[in-house]
Amino acid sequence: MNPAPTNENPFAGDSSGIQQRETAARWGLRVGSYIVVIITLAIMLHIFVKGAPVVFQSKWPFVNTQFLTELPATLHVIEDQEGTRIETDVNGADAVKKKLGDNFRSEKTISYSGGGILGPIVGTALLVIVSVGVALFLGVACAIYLSEYAKHGKFLEMVRLAILNLAGVPSVVFGLFGLGAFVLTAPTFVDVPADRSVFSIPLGFTTLSFEGWDTCVLSGGFTLAFVILPVIITASEQCLQAVPQGFRETSMALGATRWQTIRYSVLPFATPGILTSSILGIARAAGETAPIMFTAALAFKDKLPWQKDLPPLPADASIFAHWEQSVSRFLGIFTESVQALPYHIYTLAAKIPQNEYAERAQYGSVFVFLVLVASLAASSVLLRKHLRAKYRW
Amino acid sequence: MTPAATPQSIPPPVVQVRDMDFCYGASQALFDINLKVEYHRVTALIGPSGCGKSTLLRCINRMNDRVPSARVTKGEVLVKGKNIHDGDVDLTQLRKQVGMVFQKSNPFPKSIYENVAYGLRIHGEKNKSVLDEAVERSLSHAALWEELKDRLHANALALSGGQQQRLCIARAIATVPDVLLMDEPCSALDPISTLKIEELMHQLAREFTVVIVTHNMQQAVRVSDYTAFLHLGKLVEFAPTEELFTNPREKLTDSYLRGTFS
Repeated sequence: MNPAPTNENPFAGDSSGIQQRETAARWGLRVGSYIVVIITLAIMLHIFVKGAPVVFQSKWPFVNTQFLTELPATLHVIEDQEGTRIETDVNGADAVKKKLGDNFRSEKTISYSGGGILGPIVGTALLVIVSVGVALFLGVACAIYLSEYAKHGKFLEMVRLAILNLAGVPSVVFGLFGLGAFVLTAPTFVDVPADRSVFSIPLGFTTLSFEGWDTCVLSGGFTLAFVILPVIITASEQCLQAVPQGFRETSMALGATRWQTIRYSVLPFATPGILTSSILGIARAAGETAPIMFTAALAFKDKLPWQKDLPPLPADASIFAHWEQSVSRFLGIFTESVQALPYHIYTLAAKIPQNEYAERAQYGSVFVFLVLVASLAASSVLLRKHLRAKYRW
Repeated sequence: MTPAATPQSIPPPVVQVRDMDFCYGASQALFDINLKVEYHRVTALIGPSGCGKSTLLRCINRMNDRVPSARVTKGEVLVKGKNIHDGDVDLTQLRKQVGMVFQKSNPFPKSIYENVAYGLRIHGEKNKSVLDEAVERSLSHAALWEELKDRLHANALALSGGQQQRLCIARAIATVPDVLLMDEPCSALDPISTLKIEELMHQLAREFTVVIVTHNMQQAVRVSDYTAFLHLGKLVEFAPTEELFTNPREKLTDSYLRGTFS
């Protein structure tokens, strides 16, 4: 017999509160996500509002070229009797004062806040190039070995654990490590070993001396490389593991050696992912302050790394001598200490008295820094997209 | 001795497995296997899941070497009369001469041409005309040349499942192996693609020796000259296919073929 039709809703919800809990959970999660988004946007907006006016201007060429192309300098602000302020650099200050004569009221000097930030930009670029180069080479080699060659077992697990632990080491510890390892004891070729040399091996034509590289791009770059190494190893290994095992089997079954298999059937398909991991590496390497404090960065430097006084060559110098000098000038870039953006920002924010001029320089630097990191990341994303389209399975 | 018994008229088996035991670590997968594969014949390995037929197949080109702690513990495997576990056997040369096609079609995400040329390239062939010639020959053998000759540089992943598997066959025969091992090559394919590959196998047997693992008994009947029935790691019966299917000697084979397996 069919049940008699009723007007009751057979699917009415019960009153056990399941629906309320569902709603509460959804709203809790939603609010959490919104807070994150709002804070991120607030940071971006704040930096844009404060920093963009420093970098952009309303007149042609719409970009403050001075800020991007000059080295940092001390800013002189001279005030006349009417309260008008004139900003100038150290060379212009005397002329301005002479011109004002009795009209002169006061002069303020603000360290590092004048000029531009070309020095820090160049320094950060060099540090990123060295560190990402070193970290990609070591990290990818290590990831390939761990993923393709090493035998599974306890030892491999321990190595993986060690790499993960490395990621948790505070960056200032890396800074101290870099100071001890690269600045003070790394091996270098010299004619006469310094007194501080740990030990030296005479090689006849030169001496291999463990006396360190001093504070320079190379020391800082290597230190930063170790900071980003765990990120790159872990991510690269995951990318290698994501390549289907079938590719390896097929390649081996066709008689390829292990290296041929990796070279032609694994690495091409893992490269997009490895590049993604190096994006993270670039952003991190560019942003770290503590590791370069002791190893590469200077608060102030009035020269770019390649502006070095080398003895002028005689007029009849051979082309070889010119070539040799160019090479040594190029290599010299990496043995110079530099200014770096994060350290410059730290100096502006914490090492000098705060006022409107210092703040202007701070936000300008932060804005440029963010734009640089974002454009690096964007170009890597584009490259990855291009490679993905080429190698998809 | 009659002239028919001389080695000239009866060639030695191309693959010979003698008293072989095989272990994955502590668990033994194959027990005392004896198998002879004749030149230019299709030999099928049948049996229920987990009976070790794929393991046996992978012993022939030592693909099991990739599995840690897997090894032959007794007996030997001879290919073209040579024990392939001898120290002076170069794995790359062995695998060049003993090709393999896998269950899942797995072309590289490269062009059709590059897929087929892969084996030759890794063995150092750079001459464009040799590669072109090998690609055409292999694709023709795999009955793909007519379909694909106009788009050799298209990505292999754009092909249908059946075409992909035939491409894998073309890739495996590009290095002109003596033996072609096929591990359930049709199990992921539709009936029409399966039919095409089965037709292909008869033609392939003219030039190569084919060993095929299949869980499809009708397929074994259709394509093979000899059939080996494995059960729980033991080779129960090995005979000409017709004989094994119509008049099995072992009771176990009979009940497996009838589907009344306990």
